Formats: sequence, C-alpha cells, structure tokens
Amino acid sequence: MTFDPEMMARALPILLGGLVVTLELSALAILLALSWGVVLVFGRLSRFRPLRLICGGYLQLVRNTPVLVQMYLFYFGFALGGLRLSGFVAGLLALVLQNGGYMSEIYRAGIENVGSRQREAGLALGMRPLEAFRIVIFPQAVRLVLPPMANQFIAIVKDTALVSTIAVADMTFRARLLVERTAASYEVFADLALMYIAVTATIAALMSVVEWRLKALS
Amino acid sequence: MPQVLFANLPLLLRGAAVTLELASICVVFSSLIGIVAALAQSYGGFLARGTIFIYLYLVRGTPLLVLVFAIYYILPYAGINVNAMTGGAIVVSLYFGAFMTEVFRAALASVPRGQWDAGRALGMHGRWLMSIVVVPQALRLAGPPFINTCVMVVKGTSLVSVIGLTELTLTGNEVVERTLAPFQVFGGVALIYFVICYSLSLGGKALEVHLSHGQ
Repeated sequence: MTFDPEMMARALPILLGGLVVTLELSALAILLALSWGVVLVFGRLSRFRPLRLICGGYLQLVRNTPVLVQMYLFYFGFALGGLRLSGFVAGLLALVLQNGGYMSEIYRAGIENVGSRQREAGLALGMRPLEAFRIVIFPQAVRLVLPPMANQFIAIVKDTALVSTIAVADMTFRARLLVERTAASYEVFADLALMYIAVTATIAALMSVVEWRLKALS
Repeated sequence: MPQVLFANLPLLLRGAAVTLELASICVVFSSLIGIVAALAQSYGGFLARGTIFIYLYLVRGTPLLVLVFAIYYILPYAGINVNAMTGGAIVVSLYFGAFMTEVFRAALASVPRGQWDAGRALGMHGRWLMSIVVVPQALRLAGPPFINTCVMVVKGTSLVSVIGLTELTLTGNEVVERTLAPFQVFGGVALIYFVICYSLSLGGKALEVHLSHGQ
C-alpha cells in the first residue's frame, strides 16, 4: 500500500468536525478540573482531620483506576440505575473527577513549596491569614504550579480521545470510521496524530507565554 | 448484594492476570527504552539527540488510544500480522518509554556535579565513572517517579482492550454484555485495578525507605 497525500487532504475536513468536539470537551474538562481541584485542596489542607482523610482517600481512588473504566462505569453503570448520561457527559465527569484530583496535588505542592515561613512573615507584618495567603503565598505558588499544570492540560486533551469508545463523535471516533470505510489507514492516522500534536503544542506554547509574562511582572 | 460480581470474579481475575502480564512486559521494555534514551539524550551526539527529541515530541503530543488504533489498523496493511498482546506491548512500551526517558533524564541531571569530580579525582572516567558512580545514584533518585510511571503503565494497558486483548477491562465488558450488571462489574473492575496500583505505590514507598537506609 502506498501513501497518498491527496487522501490526507480529503480526510482533513471530516476530522475537523471532530476537532470541535475534542476542543469543547477539553476546554470544559480543563475548567471544571481546575475548579474541582481548588475544592479538593481546601479539603486536603483543612484542619479538620476526617475531611483530610476523605479527600486523601478520594485522591488515591481516582489516581489508581483507569479513566477508561471510570467512563464505562458512568456511561453504562448509571444508565441501568435510571440515570442516563450521554457519552459526552459521562466522559466529562470521568475526566473532571480524575484530573481534579491531580490538580489538587499540583496546588498542594505549589502551596507547600512556598513554605510556612513566608506565611509567618506575612502574619508578623499584621496580615490576617486569608490576606497572607492572597498577598504572599498565592502569587509565588502560581509561578510554581504553571509548568506541571501545562503538562496536566496536555494529558487531559490526550485523554479526551477515550470518549470515542463511548459513542462520542470526536476526532478519534471519526478517524476510525474513516479508516474502516476507506482503508486509508496511514493517511488518516497521520492526520489525526498531527491534529492532536497541533492542539497540545498550542497549549504548551500558550502556557509558556503566561509563565513568561508572570516572570516579567515580578 | 453484588452477586453477579462474585459469580464472575474468577473470570475477572483471569483478565487481571493478563493485565499484569502485559504491564510487566511493558514496564521492562519502557524502562529499557527510557534508560537508553536518557543516556543518549544526555551524553549522545547530535544525531542521537535529534532522534530522541523527535520521538519524545511525537509521543507527548499523541494520545495512547490513537497509537493503539494506529498499530491495529496500520500493521495489517503493511503486511505485518501481530496479535493484540504483541501489538499492545509494542505500543504501550513505546508510549511509556517517553515518560521513562523523562524520569531517568531528570534523575541523571540531579546527581550532584561533585560526585563526578570525586570520581575523576579517584582516576575514573567514561563508562567506568558512569556505571560505578553516576548511574547507581541516579537509579535511587528515579525511584518515586518510576513507581508513578509504573502505575500509569498498568492503567494504560486498559486501552489495549479496544483492539481485542481480553485483559481486565475487556473481560469486564464481556461479563457486562452477558449479565447486564454494568455498575457492579465495572465497579469491581475498577476495584481490582485499584488493588494492583495501590499495592504498587505502597511497595514503591517501602522500597524507597529501604534504599534511603543504605545512604
């Protein structure tokens, strides 16, 4: 079989339709995982021990099970219990639950690396605890969390491909249909890989711009 | 009561054995790729560094699922027939080889310069210095991120279910089709993955404590 560049061009518009779904799902998953991570990190750093334990247990649970199995659980498992989630919602739920856990770990590492001395210095200057967090800890922690956060965003975009197994017509889903119909496997998968690489490279570039701007500000 | 889960537990555990087999193969090969690529990236020539840069770039930007499908659809057209186990092992090893490269590269970079100087002062050089002074310390530093990557490998093998390898996830799918009890069965499947991955992390922690006593 030979490689046909024309076929690559013809497959592109069909895959681009799936790109919209992939981008939509990625953006929602990133935003919701960022927020869910904030909720979880408050629990993890809370002074109330049971809450710390629950959040820690949750983290171990989502971290040690595959996202694919979580998606199947939400998509097939909830449907029989009467709660029928669409593939998109079930996939989004699994992505947010898992990556929210990873985000909370990134936040926690950032806050702990700034160190308690910085907080004490703020308190000694007469700041209230929340002020010390907002003025002293937060600006320093943001710079520490950006690089691991960029990696996590890229991991989320890549994991959105899994929704193709629960009947969501994203890029990967369309690519498979196209390959089965045209047998042009080289061309279609080359297109598909290049599109994912374009999306993830864009995210990496945007995040380094943000990082660079923050460095310039301080 | 999860009767369906209990009735099908032996079947699921047989699937878990396949998962463990595939994961072990992939941990071994991805580590080998990782160690060789990290050494070549840190000390190799222009050509070696360029090749590894492209490899890392391609793998980091592409989802594992796409690579799994690619090998499933492309190899037969190229006239190569491999079973799902071999194909899965190749793809998963190549994919996590990139993560392992990063693990070992970071570990090599964090061996203090003073250790190199000390080795040279004792008259060591080249491979000798690397194998006696640098690599053993780097391997110790690589412990925790290595275990994390192993957990990712175990989870990653679940994707090979989509090309028909009857490991834990696909076994779960088949049991669900027969019993129509998806909540119990996938809950059970998730729990088995949890037991595998969590014991891996605990074992890794114990190993870390053990190794740090030696210092």
